[in-house]
Amino acid sequence: MNRVRIPWFRREMSAGRFALVMNLPTLICLGLVLAYPVGYAAWLSVHRVGLAQLRRGEFAFTGWENYGRVLEDPLFWVAIKNTLVFTVITVGSEIVLAVAIALLINQTSIWTSRITRFLILLPYAIPPICNGLIWSFLYSFQFGFLNRILFSLGLINDPVNWAGNPDTALYAVTVPYIWRTLPFAIILVHAALQGIPRELYEQAAIDGANAWHRFTKITWPMLQQIIAIILILRTAFAFAVFEEILAITQGGPGDATWVAAWYSYKITFAPPNNFGMGSASAFILTLMIAAIALVYLRLIYRRVTL
Amino acid sequence: MFKKTPTARLMLHIANLMVIFFILLPVVAVFIGSIQSEKALQADTRRVLPLEVTLDNFTVILTKGEQKGRIFEQVTYLPDNIKNFYVAFANSAIVAISVTVLTLLFGALSAYTLARLRYRWTLFLLQANIVARFVPVIVLMIPLYVVMRSVGQLNSLSGVIIAETGFLLPYAILILAPYFDTIPGELEEAARIDGCTRFSAFVRIVLPLATPALAACGVIMFIISWHELLIPLILNARPNFMTLPVVIASLVGDVHVFFNLMMAICLLALAPTVVLVALLQKYIVEGLSAGAVKG
Repeated sequence: MNRVRIPWFRREMSAGRFALVMNLPTLICLGLVLAYPVGYAAWLSVHRVGLAQLRRGEFAFTGWENYGRVLEDPLFWVAIKNTLVFTVITVGSEIVLAVAIALLINQTSIWTSRITRFLILLPYAIPPICNGLIWSFLYSFQFGFLNRILFSLGLINDPVNWAGNPDTALYAVTVPYIWRTLPFAIILVHAALQGIPRELYEQAAIDGANAWHRFTKITWPMLQQIIAIILILRTAFAFAVFEEILAITQGGPGDATWVAAWYSYKITFAPPNNFGMGSASAFILTLMIAAIALVYLRLIYRRVTL
Repeated sequence: MFKKTPTARLMLHIANLMVIFFILLPVVAVFIGSIQSEKALQADTRRVLPLEVTLDNFTVILTKGEQKGRIFEQVTYLPDNIKNFYVAFANSAIVAISVTVLTLLFGALSAYTLARLRYRWTLFLLQANIVARFVPVIVLMIPLYVVMRSVGQLNSLSGVIIAETGFLLPYAILILAPYFDTIPGELEEAARIDGCTRFSAFVRIVLPLATPALAACGVIMFIISWHELLIPLILNARPNFMTLPVVIASLVGDVHVFFNLMMAICLLALAPTVVLVALLQKYIVEGLSAGAVKG
């Protein structure tokens, strides 16, 4: 009765309600732009959806037909195979290069290492589509910059058709992708290196361990956790590579560089615009990536939840 | 740390030079490609350095095709998208800035509570964000295209901003949450004893302390959003609403556009984020490691 009534907006919320209110924008965003579209993609994938159906706004239920047509499409399997080859090459090379370069820029007594360290983040600043176009200039058969350099160094006598040859095209598109995404891996490994106590190395040196032993017995075991994280993150993202393919080869020559995301994109947004089949193929890709994501979740929560 | 033999030092220098060469190769290529004419590039296909240096490629882009210079004098066709450079640049800036502001705002609110208040559902939401980061854009774009088309939101900047904000928000939360975790809770306790509400303790005490993390997250969000191609490519087909990456992608396969002009527009498009990375390197390094490791 005689208590002063505090207006609702000045009253203290309970911690639980506060958390809920603070998370409302995120929940709405995640629901609207992530959960709903993924669910809708699943729905589209079991319906017949083309441009004609989009105009009418009626989609007939077809069951597993779209999945059946995707799985019977030889081009889909080519795309999956190319994606796997692309991922194995890019992720494998990135891990080896990231460890090597992180160790290299960690050499504070070498002055060239400081230059490398300063430049290491540069590729992160380049838009992927520009990166793709720049490399298509580098790789160009007639006018390419790479051939020019190799001519000048006397390494080749005839121009090499790097991205136009079906045998080498898939390997050619891995290099720009590695170039662009390597900084991320190097930075993570380098940060992990900073966390290794110096005393371990000093003790090992007193015990007479050589550089190779110090690497295999101290550095490598201490890096395993971060390397597992890089392996999973990079695998998941390499599975969905798109920009470099669009800019350099557009899936060609022939079907040599069709990858999974390119397949979904072309099936959906190039005539005859089969949205149902596109959704089905994109959904298969998502399930593969989701499996990787769950492994990641287990890995980083091992200490917290188990 | 350890004494190195002269041979070892030499090997390390050579390794560094190789890495520097690899990093700089595309940057040198885009630069050299952009400062010469198509004719010069075709005249000698084995020459590394340009026969003659010209800025005409940039002039033609920056004057919307009005000043053609010597290179483009006889050219009758220029893609309309090239002439649209300023509009595309402005669109890219509007989208990137809006997405940065929105992801920072929503991300900070969310990351703070997820780091501070541990309930079963907040932990679940944090894990949902970790999984959400993996969702490939292509699976979102097909349904988003269908939805935006049916509600008439194709060809608008707001559609792109909403889509990119939703797509990037989980990553923003993952970058911010570990940092909020390191700020001692006693500070807010003290503020609340002095009569602050939870929210004002967050705004007045925690947020100012989190400035480095906000900077790290903000610059990463800006860069990713400036680079994003697939979302605006699918949602916006009209030149008025294209962002720079979409304009650049539209030049792919246009037989009338030669490498020189492409390299020039690429150089103009990559310059802003290169400057950002050069200036804010420290924050980006911290943000990248925070977003990957702790979660």
